[in-house]
Amino acid sequence: MVMRGGAKGDGVETEVTWEDQQNINLFGRINSKFHELEDEIKAKKDMAENLEDASNELILADEEEVRYQIGEVFSHMPKDEVEERLETLKEENTQELEKLNKEKEQVLAQMADLKKILYGKFNDSINLEED
Amino acid sequence: MASSFQRRGIPVASFVEDVPTFLQQYNSDPSTALTALQEKLQQYKIAEMKLLGQKRDLQSKIPDMKKCLQIVGTLLAKRGSGEVMKMDFEVAEGIYSQAQFEDTNSVCLWLGANVMLEYTCEEAMELLTKNLDTANTSLAAMVEDLYFLRDQITTTEVTIARVFNWDVHQRRKQRSLKVDESS
Repeated sequence: MVMRGGAKGDGVETEVTWEDQQNINLFGRINSKFHELEDEIKAKKDMAENLEDASNELILADEEEVRYQIGEVFSHMPKDEVEERLETLKEENTQELEKLNKEKEQVLAQMADLKKILYGKFNDSINLEED
Repeated sequence: MASSFQRRGIPVASFVEDVPTFLQQYNSDPSTALTALQEKLQQYKIAEMKLLGQKRDLQSKIPDMKKCLQIVGTLLAKRGSGEVMKMDFEVAEGIYSQAQFEDTNSVCLWLGANVMLEYTCEEAMELLTKNLDTANTSLAAMVEDLYFLRDQITTTEVTIARVFNWDVHQRRKQRSLKVDESS
């Protein structure tokens, strides 16, 4: 999080009101939310890939019975049941991913709005960019 | 206005309306004020780190709970079907053995502290679901607390920057005054 009133000191002193402070705080919150979302989205994408890999392997597998990991143990299961389970998991994963992506868009829009307000008031006395 | 309400014993960083008035507490000495503020900021950061650690711990437990639920769920689903289930389980690292079990009505849950208790599948399901719910609730509370801490950190950071800027501004004014006098 980068949030420093400009130490450049261009000689112009801008009053910071409680409202500005609240906006800055909100921006801080949303920014950390944004990073959490990014992490979650990445995890879901990895999951989607793994599930895809698993179903591809399953298509290639000759055996009728495969081992499916539940928790710590591998359960012997008929191939079609595993296929079914994978499909449900994929479905769930896709839905969750969509939800997260929507949230991310909202968060980005909110951040853009706040940036407009805060930069509008403080110009380059404030830095809301990452690094 | 900033409410002085607390959360988990974390004090609220009060918003400074006017820098000179605020500095009066510190005999109008910006550097004393800055040191005090930095100290406060450090305390907030330590609290944030602790809370983040707790959150990570809890977050890592949730997938385990889900795994347990999955197993019990599978057992429940197979029950009564008369199907014999074959499972490979790990006996030691990298060594697996096979187990077969028919209709089972109970599972043993590891409660911690070297205690394991046998539950019927329904009861186990109930207990595990409850645990997962509790974990999710406290996780949500933790996220709220973290946001709250974030606010306090940001407020303090902004205050530091304002005091600093005010000081720079003040010095510049004095310097230009001196230049005026000498000319």
